[in-house]
Amino acid sequence: MADLLDKTTRALAASADLRSLRQNVVSANIANAETPGYSAKKLDFEEALGRALELEGVGDMKTSDVRHFMGGAGSMANVKADTYDNPDASINNDGNTVDMEKEMSTLAENSLLYKAAIQLINKKLAALKYAAGEGNR
Amino acid sequence: MDFLTGMRVSASGMTAQRMRMNTISSNIANINTTQTPEGGAYRRKDVVFEAMPDGASFGDVLISAPQRDIARVQVTDVISDRKAPLLKYEPDHPDANPEGYVAYPNINLMEEMANQITATRAYEANVAAMNSTKDMAMTALEIGR
Repeated sequence: MADLLDKTTRALAASADLRSLRQNVVSANIANAETPGYSAKKLDFEEALGRALELEGVGDMKTSDVRHFMGGAGSMANVKADTYDNPDASINNDGNTVDMEKEMSTLAENSLLYKAAIQLINKKLAALKYAAGEGNR
Repeated sequence: MDFLTGMRVSASGMTAQRMRMNTISSNIANINTTQTPEGGAYRRKDVVFEAMPDGASFGDVLISAPQRDIARVQVTDVISDRKAPLLKYEPDHPDANPEGYVAYPNINLMEEMANQITATRAYEANVAAMNSTKDMAMTALEIGR
């Protein structure tokens, strides 16, 4: 199955997966916009995903058992994204660092790019379908 | 890949803001209330919000760090304002003290109205977040169609 889906499709899937996680993080920030002392969380993955995309397949070692350690640079599917307290946020009187405008724009951007990734995956699959159907013969 | 977490978190935000709205309504409705079950004038109520990590079972402790940072919001307490009541000279009022003063709740209507607007906007932001999450989940269902 891994050969059926090319690198681009797998990168798109990994990106969509991480975007759904970011959606949850942003939702939590919005829900806690009025919670005293809450610090806004941020999730970064673009750089890590970009690196994984470059390095994928480099120095991979074949394993004969699923319990064996993975060798090589690792794959896009296990890109680790980390959350941290958003440093460039203003602090209110109550110690809350949620910037509502920023969160709402991140939300819109994230949702849009997620949908774009899904649409691209669909295009890739449509191309496969077309090929499998011998060009709709 | 779980959209349910995001929707649950947004729902918790909506619940919290609705509860805040209810206390504000109660404050406005009781702006002139001089008698309460606990005695004395009505005291202004306020909600206490607290961020709660989503999911607190043992299994959830083992999941990745980003998942643990996702917090719901919860109303943990409703507190009564400790401001001294406003005293008005109304000697004919049944609740007047021997000096002829009646204790009225110390509620500022402007403040309550401003809080009401904030609560409404915060609620709407949560609705927007929930709709956006739902949209994404719907798009995911279209994969391979």
